[in-house]
Amino acid sequence: MSNIDENEILRRLEKLSQIKPTHEATERAINRARLGFSWGTATRSYKIKSPSPIIKFAAAAALLICAGYIIGRVSSAQPVDIEQLRAEIEASLRSSLAASCEQIKDELHQQVQRDLTEFAAQTLAASTTATDQRLIELIRLIDAARMQDHLRVAAAIEKIEMDKEKLGNGLQALATRTNELLRTEQN
Amino acid sequence: MENRQEKLFELLDKSGASLYALLTRLTLREDVAEELMQELFIKLSNYKGLRKIKNWNAYAHKAAVNLAFDWRRRQKRACLSLDNVPEIASNEKSPLSNLINSEESQEMLDAIRQLNKAPRQAIVMRYIQQQPYEDIAEQMNKTTHQVRALCHKAINRLRDLIGK
Repeated sequence: MSNIDENEILRRLEKLSQIKPTHEATERAINRARLGFSWGTATRSYKIKSPSPIIKFAAAAALLICAGYIIGRVSSAQPVDIEQLRAEIEASLRSSLAASCEQIKDELHQQVQRDLTEFAAQTLAASTTATDQRLIELIRLIDAARMQDHLRVAAAIEKIEMDKEKLGNGLQALATRTNELLRTEQN
Repeated sequence: MENRQEKLFELLDKSGASLYALLTRLTLREDVAEELMQELFIKLSNYKGLRKIKNWNAYAHKAAVNLAFDWRRRQKRACLSLDNVPEIASNEKSPLSNLINSEESQEMLDAIRQLNKAPRQAIVMRYIQQQPYEDIAEQMNKTTHQVRALCHKAINRLRDLIGK
């Protein structure tokens, strides 16, 4: 329900109808309008016409698309250069590993040194033991060979002694026989 | 082309003052009315279907009303502070009266702007241009009875819009 009556509306409309521009302003407006269309080249500065909504919308859309494209181009990731990436990773790894690499090398060197020393000691010990055993065995073999030689020499000497006895006996027998033969002949 | 220019000069001589007064009443600003007046005649001179127009005067007034309300639509009156309210064309001398009249008139014109095209045209012609119903009916290709009904409905609609 309206709280304003019809008469008030009419009164306001009548007030509007009573507004009159000054004579000078009217003259000026008429002359300007006459100049505007008679010359046929109304300057844009005189116009208050604004672009149509479609043109405004198109311009806004174009601006929006351009802005989006530019933002997208700026914010999007650049194409990955594999070689560059590899070089960067390598450099990064190198720099990060440079310090620890030296330490690891030192530790490895010390470890190898320790292992080599231990291995040498073990090898030497093993070698010494083996050599000793070989020497003992060699000595044993030499002893056995000497014993055998002694036995052989003793056996040979014993044989020679026996042969010598036999020869003595033979010589005695020969002598006896010879004596007997001589006696026989003498007889 | 020459014929068109002649007709436009004739229209300007005959109805220029009336058109300018109408634009001033609808915009409440002489400077804007002057701009719109020039724009109106440039539009008329560039209009291709000008030969079909029988009543140049009525056509020009209708076009002026549309131009003025288009301008009002573009204006964000709500954004204007009281300091920025321009001095309106008014016969009152007191600044306070001017301000009150300005507020009332702006409110009324904004309400008229919200009307449909036909009632708006009828209200402007009847109550702002003070034309008789017969002339309005002739210009709008309606009967006087239809124009009266249109005006009555428009007034009721304005009451609703202003009384909100």
